[in-house]
Amino acid sequence: MARRSRVWAGCLLGFALGTLPLLGQEDEPAGEPTEEAGSLRPKLDFGFEAKAHYRRSDENRFPIRTFLPPEKQRFLETVNSGDHFEISTLTLFADATWSDHLAAHAKIDFIDLYERNPTSTAEEVDVDELWLRIGHDSQPAALPAGWGAYAKIGKFPKFERQNDRHLESYGLASTAFNRIEDVGLELGLDLGRHVYLKGSLTQGNPVFLRDPNALAGDNGTPEFRRPDPNPDLQSGIVIPYDAATQGLDVDGDLQKGLGLGVRFASEDGANGVDVLVFGRRRTLAQRVDFKGSFYGADIDLLNGPEVPFLRPADVTFPLSSDRKQEVGANVWIYLGGGSFFGQYVDQDLGGLDRTGYEGELAWRFDLPLAASFDGRQLFPAVQPVVRYSKLDPAYRAAPRSPSPSFAWQWEKLDFGLRLTILSGIDLTAEYSKNDFILGSGAKRNNHETLVTLRWRI
Amino acid sequence: MADLSSAFRGRFLLAAAAGVVTAILAGGGDASAEDLRGKVELLARGGKGLAKGSDVRQAVVFFEPKEPRPTRAPEAPFVISTEDKEFRPRVLAIPRGSKVRFPNSDPILHNVFSVSGANSFDFGLYRKGPGQTRRFDAPGLVRVFCNVHHSMVAYIWVLATPYSISPAADGSFTLSGVPKGPGKLTVWHEQAEPWTIDLQVPTPGPVAARLEITRPRIPPHVDKSGRSYFRNSREKYGG
Repeated sequence: MARRSRVWAGCLLGFALGTLPLLGQEDEPAGEPTEEAGSLRPKLDFGFEAKAHYRRSDENRFPIRTFLPPEKQRFLETVNSGDHFEISTLTLFADATWSDHLAAHAKIDFIDLYERNPTSTAEEVDVDELWLRIGHDSQPAALPAGWGAYAKIGKFPKFERQNDRHLESYGLASTAFNRIEDVGLELGLDLGRHVYLKGSLTQGNPVFLRDPNALAGDNGTPEFRRPDPNPDLQSGIVIPYDAATQGLDVDGDLQKGLGLGVRFASEDGANGVDVLVFGRRRTLAQRVDFKGSFYGADIDLLNGPEVPFLRPADVTFPLSSDRKQEVGANVWIYLGGGSFFGQYVDQDLGGLDRTGYEGELAWRFDLPLAASFDGRQLFPAVQPVVRYSKLDPAYRAAPRSPSPSFAWQWEKLDFGLRLTILSGIDLTAEYSKNDFILGSGAKRNNHETLVTLRWRI
Repeated sequence: MADLSSAFRGRFLLAAAAGVVTAILAGGGDASAEDLRGKVELLARGGKGLAKGSDVRQAVVFFEPKEPRPTRAPEAPFVISTEDKEFRPRVLAIPRGSKVRFPNSDPILHNVFSVSGANSFDFGLYRKGPGQTRRFDAPGLVRVFCNVHHSMVAYIWVLATPYSISPAADGSFTLSGVPKGPGKLTVWHEQAEPWTIDLQVPTPGPVAARLEITRPRIPPHVDKSGRSYFRNSREKYGG
């Protein structure tokens, strides 16, 4: 896998270097809108993004009371702890725009270490987004011209997902509920400039497990079938989350999503506020096969393994239904260079209730012109960011569950600084402080430092 | 920018001198011309005392006689330069038909544009150098922006009258060679509503113009494509 990754990386790096002369264009805001009514020829726009990381993850391990003999003691432990330099993302973007009311978008990951799950054996090439939109869709806290509607079909982010994250890591609520794209149909209706409705009918992301730190772990990979498992990565300290969709099979049940929003904004977009309440519901499948893992997703994951000499209640989570439902609210606030995003989600996962909170505050400070490179300002802006997030499960783990951290109270505080080196190139340094309360009531932590160099053209 | 650049002051002196010459020529140097004196005060929001941080020298004072007088555009272009991500001068008053050149003195790319009606223009991205020149024929206010840098703002008043000036630091002004008779005096400042008065020259005493600062120093505006500067998705990580 590593060799193939290097080949991809080499090809894309070559492509990127070949486009260096285009970098001067990056100082310009996004291109002209295409408004040629009736034109069949779209405006094509291609982009490329590469990210390299320095990551330092605390080493922590927490013993699990399993059904195995003491010499086979298992742990929840930090994924690939220590210091690492990684090329974590190579992504191609393609946009075809016929008009403001007809557009298509593709985002293809050739390397995406931090999205894959299980990391070491998942897809090499991942179509992260691929959608066609008919009609105009406004960004949060941006006013449309008036009444309008749109339909989007394909694979796309959930409408409640934060669209302008300012750190490379994710908050706990984002990771648990809406980090990953879904497949289906999304409809939007602008009831004038200030009120809007959203609706979706999608496949629904299977419930799987991952570590909220940058790198997800190996869970249910073939190595775990061996007597003394030795996977490429450790399992991580995991939470249940909405994982990547697996194929197009919906098992006869689609996820329904609804949203109602109110927004106000200045005409120039400098200031604005947007409040969205939303809900999603689907029926959990008995099992969803998850590529790269012999663990099943959805109910199979929450049930845990079948152990002949143990009662199911010793291993499984106390499911009481097959309903999966999230109800929540978002708020976006923009004030010049400042922004705040907040999210609250209340989840019913087969009768397991948990809530998630998240708030991110960021501010962009433009820096005076001190130096330049090739017609662009060096260090044009700096952006401090702080984010607080919390997961609060209202259930307890079974005494011998292999995933006791599903039920831990968890708080995460991220703070960081993003420095724009040149337009399209930035460096983000951030520190994630994870604190959790174990089932025993003990308090533990697991912190991580992440420095990201991002290059986008 | 705390005050007008020397180039700006020079241009104004030239413009004032041209106005005086024009007025003398138009009025024949006789007693039909007067000096119109006054003082501009910038008041804080709500009229509570003098405004802090707003420069009265950035105001433009111009008198339009009821009987229009000809203007004469100079052959050489005026100059508005981009320096340290600012336009210098920030405010310029020119006779209609004048040309303005926009050199880029910064080592970075700028894109100077305006969407002010008949005076609209778009120079596209350009590097350090002499820049391009635009002739302005339509009287009125031209708002000039950079499509790359939201904070860059300049104003050009294209005037159909030869009588204009910017106040001194204390707000005082003298429009020389103004023809006797009725006309309209306008005081404009970028952060206030324009102040106008119909008056008869000569006036019984100095004119007092009080303008309340109600607008931000960087006016709300969108880029040349009508999009917000603040929602450039390329600058953000996205999902």
